Amino acid sequence: MSKTLLKIENLKASIEGKEILKGINLEIKEGEVHAIMGPNGSGKSTLASVLAGRELFEVTDGKIQFLGKELLGMPPEERSREGLFLAFQYPVEIPGVSIVNFMKAAVSQHREHKGLKPLTAGEFLKMMQEKKELVEMEAKLNNRAVNEGFSGGEKKKNEVFQMAMLEPKLSILDETDSGLDIDALRIVASGVNKLKNSENSFLVITHYQRLLDYIVPDVVHVLYNGKIVKTGGKELALELEEKGYDWIKKEND
Amino acid sequence: MALRNQISKEEFLSVFQTLPLNALAEKEWKNKTDKNFEILDFPNKKDESWRHTSINRLLQHRYGLGKSMPLDKKTVDSFTIPGMDAYRLVFINGYFNAAFSNEIDNDNKLIIKNIAQVKKEKPDLFNQFYENTSIASENFFTNLNTAYATNGNYISIPKGMVLDKPIHIINFSDGQDSKTISQYRNIIIAGENSQVKIVNSFHSLTVNFTLTNVATEIIVNENAHLNFNIFQGEGDDAFQINHTKVLQHRNSYFSSHTITLCGAIVRNDLQVKHIGEGCETKLNGLYLPSREQHFDNHTYVHHAKPHGTSNQVYKGIIDNKASAVFLGRVMVDRGAQKTQASQTNRNVLLTPYAKINSKPQLEIYTDDVACSHGSTTGQIDKEALFYLQSRGIDRRHAELLLLTAFLADVIENIEVEPLKLFVNLLISRRLQGEKDNSLCSMDEVCHGCDPVD
Repeated sequence: MSKTLLKIENLKASIEGKEILKGINLEIKEGEVHAIMGPNGSGKSTLASVLAGRELFEVTDGKIQFLGKELLGMPPEERSREGLFLAFQYPVEIPGVSIVNFMKAAVSQHREHKGLKPLTAGEFLKMMQEKKELVEMEAKLNNRAVNEGFSGGEKKKNEVFQMAMLEPKLSILDETDSGLDIDALRIVASGVNKLKNSENSFLVITHYQRLLDYIVPDVVHVLYNGKIVKTGGKELALELEEKGYDWIKKEND
Repeated sequence: MALRNQISKEEFLSVFQTLPLNALAEKEWKNKTDKNFEILDFPNKKDESWRHTSINRLLQHRYGLGKSMPLDKKTVDSFTIPGMDAYRLVFINGYFNAAFSNEIDNDNKLIIKNIAQVKKEKPDLFNQFYENTSIASENFFTNLNTAYATNGNYISIPKGMVLDKPIHIINFSDGQDSKTISQYRNIIIAGENSQVKIVNSFHSLTVNFTLTNVATEIIVNENAHLNFNIFQGEGDDAFQINHTKVLQHRNSYFSSHTITLCGAIVRNDLQVKHIGEGCETKLNGLYLPSREQHFDNHTYVHHAKPHGTSNQVYKGIIDNKASAVFLGRVMVDRGAQKTQASQTNRNVLLTPYAKINSKPQLEIYTDDVACSHGSTTGQIDKEALFYLQSRGIDRRHAELLLLTAFLADVIENIEVEPLKLFVNLLISRRLQGEKDNSLCSMDEVCHGCDPVD
């Protein structure tokens, strides 16, 4: 039987006193792809933020176990080093920090955490090159500041590139498909598919079924009003695409 | 009204009565400066340009005159800039130290020399340029400098000469057992078509109350290029007043970097006037006050002739309960058509107690100009910080990356390569925090801080 990567039990979280997540239960095993769908404002991005450790949200109840360790209370950098990765819905522009320096710092701290020797400059650049090809990212972006002046597509490719560099066990894709044209979407999805293996898992948060044509989920969850109200196979996504969210709302309001 | 315990102007000035007669100003100058003292008072908050900088802390002490002290090689070497081969002039407490200086006096052409000696040997040359920029009447401290400065530098680069290496002026202050005042007067003349880079650094050797008062007159002749760097690393109890006045002749280039890393209260006035057409000016500043330090930069670029450009970039990171001031004034005269002037001041406040007063001041009396200014103040971008952390970079390292990036362009512009590398190193060390509890992270440029108390 495959190992449990992530186990969320009765997770409740709020922002400025307003409860957004109202008791989430979710279990993801090694090698699985889970999709979370749901209407706007249902708490999808909040769930991603809480998992990644954004301070903005206050967890009021529940437990999250990641590879058997308590995730809550770990600072964001620790979660990353343990193998959790969040591809941001809105990647942040960081003027003055080049992608090379950014990744050098990240990779070296990951390796240190794992007790691995630091990479030589040559090894590091070779790794950068390989991973960039995965998402068809242009070499000239190396010395550009992180996300500064990038197009929407470039920003999302950059997220998948970072994912490839850090080789996480669980990747959360927070609306990585939003705003992408079909070419960029294909590149991003194929990058993700190449990274997929029997030991890592993905949690794909999306509005649109379209992405799931490319990244095929094992399990689809519907999040509504802070709770997972429906769980099914990939056909559930198609049903949602066809019928919209109104029937979900009707069933649960 | 004077605060209790605060010394009076008369008391402050009385110590100079004991100054031996080797000070720079002659009798006729003494008469003028004495008259000025009748009018000029200590700067106070009623004075617009001192509104945000109080010198009360400085006036809590009665200062004596500095004494010349021997230096040892180890000390001097530890304050040189790594990898910088330079013509070096060393001073301590206002006095010249011949042992560690290499002066040049090349048949009245290239002169890099202590100014007291130049006055003695070539009074005509001295008198020709002394007070050329009428710096004396600026304020109380410049007048004090004109009246009682003990020594300083006379640098003259002859027509057409491109100096092969930078000039490094090192000013040490060492109060030892007494509270001392050191005054330096510099005259720097770049001849027509000449080129020179100068670094003037200030360091404390001990933790002590000291006051360093500097007045520098710079004349950049036609088509000459002069790069001037002020590198300040005095101690937590060291006050510094540094006034620089620059006159630029036709088609000349003047650039400066004012890097303030340490000091109790540091006030820098930098004034540039274009007296010929087509001058270019670049003023850069970096200031990183911490603890209860207060750093104040006042700049003034006066475009009096057409086709001039000026570009100012000042950036600061303010930590703990420290504070800073930037006031950048740009004046474009009626006749100064086609002037291009820009000014940027950006600040990051690291704590809720840190303070900045930033004020651009543009006065434009002609229509055909392009002038811009901008000032921003903020905290470390929390979103950017989270993004970096979410990739496994710890918080401290992430902050360091962001702050280093914030200062990067100003550091990159430093024109003396070894100074650039050194400043980069010091600043990244500073941003990483103190080394341990007993040593200030700036101990390479300053032995005058005691962060423990």
